Amino acid sequence: MNALRLLLVALACTPVMGARAEPVNYAIDPSHTKVYWEVRHFGTSTHRGRFDTLEGSIAIDRDKGLGDVSISIATASVSSGVPALDAVLRGGSFLASEANPTAYFVAKQLRFDGERLSSLRGEFTLRGVSKPLSLNASNFACRTDAQLKREVCGGDFEATILRSDYGSTFGLPFVGDKVRLLISIEGIRQ
Amino acid sequence: MKKVLFTLAAVSIASMAHAEGATYAIDPSHTFVTFEAKHFNTSTLRGRFDKKEGTVSFDRQGKTGKAEITIDAGSIDTGVPALDTHLKSKDFFDVAQISGVKFVGDKFTFDGDKVSSVAGQLTMLGKTVPVTLKADNFNCYTNPLLKREVCGGDFETTIARTQWGMNYGLQYGLPDSIHLLIQVEAIKQ
Repeated sequence: MNALRLLLVALACTPVMGARAEPVNYAIDPSHTKVYWEVRHFGTSTHRGRFDTLEGSIAIDRDKGLGDVSISIATASVSSGVPALDAVLRGGSFLASEANPTAYFVAKQLRFDGERLSSLRGEFTLRGVSKPLSLNASNFACRTDAQLKREVCGGDFEATILRSDYGSTFGLPFVGDKVRLLISIEGIRQ
Repeated sequence: MKKVLFTLAAVSIASMAHAEGATYAIDPSHTFVTFEAKHFNTSTLRGRFDKKEGTVSFDRQGKTGKAEITIDAGSIDTGVPALDTHLKSKDFFDVAQISGVKFVGDKFTFDGDKVSSVAGQLTMLGKTVPVTLKADNFNCYTNPLLKREVCGGDFETTIARTQWGMNYGLQYGLPDSIHLLIQVEAIKQ
């Protein structure tokens, strides 16, 4: 039903709004884009942190349900609030950031729920190991930003990985295997 | 006879435990307050406070407890330096004028041996308002490095910052509602 609706819309719009069929590019707004992580400590408290330095590009073709999303994370920019822990996290047992300065997520398959981006199916690379990963949106919205006077789209995306899948087994099970990734992202239309 | 002896023993052990209770010092490297605020209904902004200290005492038999945590609002850390500067200014935490943020929890609710919520008062911008922290997880374990009991968990609450007079930005669409996520671990003294 959805596909038929899209086809009808595309046919109706194509002669007048040919530009709509092309993908729209968004540049990541670094002051509103972060990757936060959470991991269980001794089954007791959740240890939280983030990665401060990110880069990326987003191209969305809403009509075709396709896109090109690429987010690069500088693994050395890990920030837990405990400097001594950050140094350990950069080390070989966890991020191995000297050998693997970048972790990245790439996706070409985008799922929409009407106008709302609901998930991205792609691949995550960490410690040089690549595995399929889907990011699910718990929130997605577009607005015309009052200050920038441009369209800004973004949301909250989530995925859980097992760090052992990427070769990080130190501290198991006291430091959990499951790492929840929470991505807050806003992109400015180019 | 056996039943009476057992009961007497049980009562005396219980009263001994009640008389003791235990005090724990907050482990600053495993205790953080993280706040979440929705940015124009689009993405969630998270930040934390890097400097804090406190103590918690609780008595699992007597079902009582007390927590006192002081947070240095000047240690706010969002990973966006310009935002940190703005949050420390008069518009938000006014760290130049006001000493800090303090939570005093004096009503502990237990679910068996586990703390399920802590009710108390949160003081920010010199104003004190009641809040209740709900536990999503609570556990005690023997830390193999410290060789001591560590108790802690994940607590959360949602506050309306205007209740403390932090009113900046509502007219621009900045939210009143702030979600607080508190991860705590405290070491038995």
